[in-house]
Amino acid sequence: MSQSQDLPQFEDHSKQEHRYTTCYMCACRCGIKVTLENEKIRFIQGNQDHPVNKGVLCAKGNSAIMKQLSPAKLTQPLLRKPGTERGAGEFEPITWDAALEMLTARLANIRATDPKKLAYFTGRDQMQALTGLWASQFGTINWAAHGGFCSVNMAAAGLYTMGHSFWEFGDPDWERTKYFMMWGVAEDHASNPIKLGLKRIKERGAKFVAVNPVRTGYQAIADEWIAITPGTDGMLALSMVQVLLREGLVDDEFLIRYTNGPQLVINNPGKQGDGLLLRDAEGNPQVWDQHTNGMQSAFSSDVAPALLGEYEAPCGTPVRTAFSILMEKYMAPEYAPEAASKVCGVDAESIERIALEMAHVAFKETITIDTEWTDWAGRKQSQFIGRPVSMHAMRGISAHSNGFQTCRAIHLLQVVLGTIDCPGGHLAKPPFPKHIVPPIKPAKSNVPNTPLESAPLGFPTQPEDLVIDENGKPMRIDKAYSWDAPIANHGLMHMVISNAVAGDPYPIDTLMLFMANMAWNSSMNTAQTMDMLRAKDENGDYKIPFIVTCDAFHSETVNFSDLVLPDTTFLERYDTISMLDRPISEVDAACDSIRQPILALDRDVRSWQEVMVDLAGRLKFPAFVNDEGQPKFEGYEDFIVNFERAPGIGFLAGWRGKDGEKSLRGEPNPNQWKAYIDNQCFFKFELKPNQRYMRHANRDYMELAKEAGWVGSTDQIVIELYSETLQKFRLAGQGLYDGPQPTEEHHKERLKTYFDPLPFYYPPLEQERTDAKEYPFYAVTQRPMFMYHSWDSQNSWLRQIMSQNYLYMHRSKGEALGIKDFGWVWVESHNGRIRAQVKLMEGVNPETVWTWNAIAKQQGTWGLSDDANESQQGFLMNHLINELLPGEVEAGGHRMTNSDPITGQAAWYDLRVKITPVSDDDKDLTGQKLSWPRFDKVKPLPNFTPATKMSSYSSHPNINISRGWRDIFSRGEK
Amino acid sequence: MKLGLVVDLDTCVGCHACATACKQWNTSGTIGPLSDERPYGKDPSGSWLNRIHSYEVGDSPHSKTVNIPMSCMHCETADCVTVCPTGASYKREEDGIVLIDQDKCMGCNLCSWACPYGARELDPDSGTMKKCTLCVDRIYDEQLPESERQPACVLTCPTSSRVFGDFDDPDSEVSKLTRERAGQQLMPELGYNPVNTYLPPRIPKQQDSIVVSPMQGVKQLVNRIINR
Amino acid sequence: MHPAFSVLIFTVTSGAGYGLLAWLGAGQLLGYTQTYMEGQQVILGVIAMVLVSIGLVSSTLHLASPKNAWRSFSRFRTSWLSREAVFAIILYPVAALYGAAIFWQWSSIDILAGLSIILALITLFTTSMIYASLKTIRQWNTPMVPALFMAYALISGGLLFLAVSGFFGSLKPQLLAVVMGLIVITLALKLVYFFWQGKPQGATIQTATGFSQASVRLLDAGHSAPTFLNREFGYQVAADLLLRLRIVMTLVTFILPLGLVYWVFDGAGRVELLALAWSIMMAGLLLERWLFFAEARHVVRLYQGEQRT
Repeated sequence: MSQSQDLPQFEDHSKQEHRYTTCYMCACRCGIKVTLENEKIRFIQGNQDHPVNKGVLCAKGNSAIMKQLSPAKLTQPLLRKPGTERGAGEFEPITWDAALEMLTARLANIRATDPKKLAYFTGRDQMQALTGLWASQFGTINWAAHGGFCSVNMAAAGLYTMGHSFWEFGDPDWERTKYFMMWGVAEDHASNPIKLGLKRIKERGAKFVAVNPVRTGYQAIADEWIAITPGTDGMLALSMVQVLLREGLVDDEFLIRYTNGPQLVINNPGKQGDGLLLRDAEGNPQVWDQHTNGMQSAFSSDVAPALLGEYEAPCGTPVRTAFSILMEKYMAPEYAPEAASKVCGVDAESIERIALEMAHVAFKETITIDTEWTDWAGRKQSQFIGRPVSMHAMRGISAHSNGFQTCRAIHLLQVVLGTIDCPGGHLAKPPFPKHIVPPIKPAKSNVPNTPLESAPLGFPTQPEDLVIDENGKPMRIDKAYSWDAPIANHGLMHMVISNAVAGDPYPIDTLMLFMANMAWNSSMNTAQTMDMLRAKDENGDYKIPFIVTCDAFHSETVNFSDLVLPDTTFLERYDTISMLDRPISEVDAACDSIRQPILALDRDVRSWQEVMVDLAGRLKFPAFVNDEGQPKFEGYEDFIVNFERAPGIGFLAGWRGKDGEKSLRGEPNPNQWKAYIDNQCFFKFELKPNQRYMRHANRDYMELAKEAGWVGSTDQIVIELYSETLQKFRLAGQGLYDGPQPTEEHHKERLKTYFDPLPFYYPPLEQERTDAKEYPFYAVTQRPMFMYHSWDSQNSWLRQIMSQNYLYMHRSKGEALGIKDFGWVWVESHNGRIRAQVKLMEGVNPETVWTWNAIAKQQGTWGLSDDANESQQGFLMNHLINELLPGEVEAGGHRMTNSDPITGQAAWYDLRVKITPVSDDDKDLTGQKLSWPRFDKVKPLPNFTPATKMSSYSSHPNINISRGWRDIFSRGEK
Repeated sequence: MKLGLVVDLDTCVGCHACATACKQWNTSGTIGPLSDERPYGKDPSGSWLNRIHSYEVGDSPHSKTVNIPMSCMHCETADCVTVCPTGASYKREEDGIVLIDQDKCMGCNLCSWACPYGARELDPDSGTMKKCTLCVDRIYDEQLPESERQPACVLTCPTSSRVFGDFDDPDSEVSKLTRERAGQQLMPELGYNPVNTYLPPRIPKQQDSIVVSPMQGVKQLVNRIINR
Repeated sequence: MHPAFSVLIFTVTSGAGYGLLAWLGAGQLLGYTQTYMEGQQVILGVIAMVLVSIGLVSSTLHLASPKNAWRSFSRFRTSWLSREAVFAIILYPVAALYGAAIFWQWSSIDILAGLSIILALITLFTTSMIYASLKTIRQWNTPMVPALFMAYALISGGLLFLAVSGFFGSLKPQLLAVVMGLIVITLALKLVYFFWQGKPQGATIQTATGFSQASVRLLDAGHSAPTFLNREFGYQVAADLLLRLRIVMTLVTFILPLGLVYWVFDGAGRVELLALAWSIMMAGLLLERWLFFAEARHVVRLYQGEQRT
């Protein structure tokens, strides 16, 4: 608009200042432009130049002002008052100096004696590269972030199959895809990027199919909604694989060139080595070359491997191609659409049709991009061939105990259609793809005053890599990388408290939590978790002797801490969003970014980054001190600039080199922060057109990736449809492995059953152990878009959108049970019961009930008043879920973790419940409509200022447009 | 000019970004602040200029979830203006934006009674009526970069489901979208002639599929000579 | 619609006041007050204006920014509320002059009486049109609303006129008959209104959302606690209670006063019963006005999930 007649000057731009930074209210990490005036925030908007969000911003980002103004902000370090009980909420202020001295002394002692007695677990951590490095330098193997209860199944399945995955690892080619299938994406993961993408595909007329038991959020705008039964997506995917195999609708060129489908597998059932790849003396897998009719290395370029067939190795061992095994497996009657339909609740006709629609797009609507590129063997190719079918999957797939194999099944479907990293397909995002798998083994050392020999988390490829002791017992407190969960790439944060309190595998001394609400919505079994945090041994000492919490807000977990270290908000600190960490790259560009302080601190808090670096110096970690043993870095900013993981590789990839002239790799640049700030706080390195596709086999790309340190070699990344890694573990379970093997029967059973080298469907573990007649409903949760992944339900704007959650159920089921809209019900699982208010709806799988997660808060926390809806009517489903599986006690007298048997991913969505209406004479309801269980009110923290009854925020007095008298008197009716 | 919004119901995912962007901009804007009562207490309630309602259209299993953001429609026959006794509520002649002069409103609520769309909310603190201004304090601000001279809701919408423009100009994007995608007014029978239009969800995309004969049985995949 | 008590008081009492003023003026023109003492007439006029004033003061109580109330005279051209304010204020000097004319026996008394009647009726009409002009509330958007508002004013004002006349011993039986007739007519009109209101018509959730071909149900309102719109428009009373209240209202507003007036008319009842009848009717009218709001269903409710108004 150009004309501005008669309008006043609304904004005094001369008093305003724009500053860029990066949002931190979910894992999208959008670029934001902040307008400041009078030391207040005028406006936060999406940065139009930013690769992640391209100018848009979500509901949370737009409410950041209220996050900043939250009365729940911690204001000073706190110490549990001596002589009071943990959880009683009695704290006294302590200075930072005293707090850090106390903590240093405690940690130094642990480090000097038994480093693993420090368990350091982080929640919505966006600086795992730093916290992981810190743990590694400390020497404790007991470190992980929240991936283990979020989406490790998705990450692990992708990395063990094709070297990248969904979300941070890869995206659909939104610009070219013609058919998009979204699996189990609960309004989240990711937020703005997915929304931008969905708009693009709808604009272009591509088809959008959503697989989800609930039709809200993204599913609302899908062309087709598949109301699948929770936990059965693997069956749906594999049944579609059968349709494609049956009709011969597979991309055999892709399979032969880019996957291990043609590699020969030893077929020697019941014998050692069965199911492993046939290898030559150099260790190269073998294929059957149709030119020479003989075995050749799978890595040679001038062979024509047979995709199918049974052969005999020179030594006489029978072998067959991996794809032959795959054909046999998926052509079995159990994966026929009719049979699959009974499991997943999707009619056979739809299974068949969707598979054939995708085949049509992949094979009859192929696209090409005429760009010359060099393949892995150095051959020039004239074009990229695109099969424009793409997929995205997230927590609805991951958070089941069959999630790893389900996610592999989805990747299998993508691979047989030839849709990996091709135009219109599923594209990796740098630094991915990685070789399968990255050559990092999980650390298993525990040497006083000595850093770990490698990172605490890594990628096991064989039983030798497990973090177990000589007796086969878990070494980590969360039992990650043990026979319980051998490929627990992100750890099992949900098991830490339970295991530590049980002293199984051993007691710990200090539990350090960062931004993880383990006493509330981040734990299964919340009420019992609170009891565990308070539990004492026979001497009257706490079973977890010392709990340190770092958080910016008064969360429920703060209440259970012995020492509280207050964090800054994201608008008050320096931070890096590093490619060493959880990257924010785009499919065609490598990106990273920073945060800079936008607002001055108004209270005695410190950013956790600063505290980490400070503690590292105090504890004299080798990487943090100089030769004199003095702290090497002045602080976090100095650390980021000067720390090099490998020569020339640091946390930030942009403006490296002495003068900032180098990208991706280069010596430290003392002015690097300034360069970022001058460039809107992000760095974007665009890939050349010939580096953008088929990167698993694209030398033009791989050479860049190697230079940047993203991969260790330029060798082709061969997609592993058939996972030899899983087979090795299965052999261990079968007693056929020449290496560590489990001794307990149930471990053997798990390995034999679940470590199938090819993806398969099995019912989620908890569901298998739950009586479906007794508990007829599946129960799942999701977070609303405006609170997705966030730490913000105390936000006064967002809580106006939702301060109470409901249990949603299908109208027909509700009516059959005599439950009306807004009626109260008991929801009961094997683990307990909760009372909740119901809303009936149409768009939900009839066997499923669901709710918005983490709306409920404990009374007295988060700066909310005692009668706030969150604590009165809001409810958590967590109470119904146990971190241990119901029923059988396994050999050894312990119950198994409620997790994926392969990765240890927390199985949040395996829950089954029964629902009964609350009768009017229910004594607990006593006239007031309250959720249940109820908890004691948390006491206010020292110096807490309750919020006012009215809030009227503005950064400047409003400039009203005054309507003139003449207009008022002269205007008639139109 | 006839300024207004087109809202695309085909792509709105109901994320509430437009609602909070609106709240954020306007609480420090020309009609600000937008107050909140009991912001951290029971039943928090403030004045908002844009709210998102979610509906289910059709019965299970063929129901479709539809999110409908609602803000002032800047009606051509704006009864909210007609009924205002003080002259605080008016429709600008030059661009059709319906505004409330905050210094003249007496808080009688009558305009909100006259509005069928729930676009007007009384501010619990100032006691004056608040409503969408189409970000009149952004769209004409020549000191903003041109790409940002848009209502805050439009600027932020992650699915670009909101488009701002001049409905008097037949070549504007809003006119074209309304024409080409059969944009419709809500509750037209009341005769308010709302300017904002809503684009209905598209007919689900029909995708060709590979035709197979059910009698064929399993087609045997055969090895082809394909060089690696 | 939320029944704001101040608005109930306002419309009922000022209605009775305007009605009373109209009866007084009509008496001057038609001659039935010729035998009245000047003092009696002035007292009737004062009572009328006191009632009007109570109503008007009460009406300002529901304003959230009363400091701007004076501005409400400015949009006379389009706003019925503004017109009401203007006419209500003009009436004061006219009524004062009329009172002076009675007192001092001015020759212009007929003109001033006529003007008072016209202004009282116009003000009543403008008040009623505030409601009747709203297309958003189908229960109000009908000519029956102004007709009923005028009728309520005439029966409540008329009954008060009779009660005061009875007090001064100047009651005329013909006037009792006229008021009884008016009560019956008003009741008939109200019954027609109830019948008309019960017919399904107007906007539905389908037209509100634009999805006319299928069922539409609210899944989420976009806010979990009530907003201004819910508080203002979401007023909800159980249907069976509404029905019972309608019956009570009909008895109290119409049948009981009618019976009492008839008793007096019949000669059996004492004239003081007329004051009782008026009081009962005023209570009934408050209930009527409460129902008028409580049963009015604004179309915004469609967006909050109601299927129809």
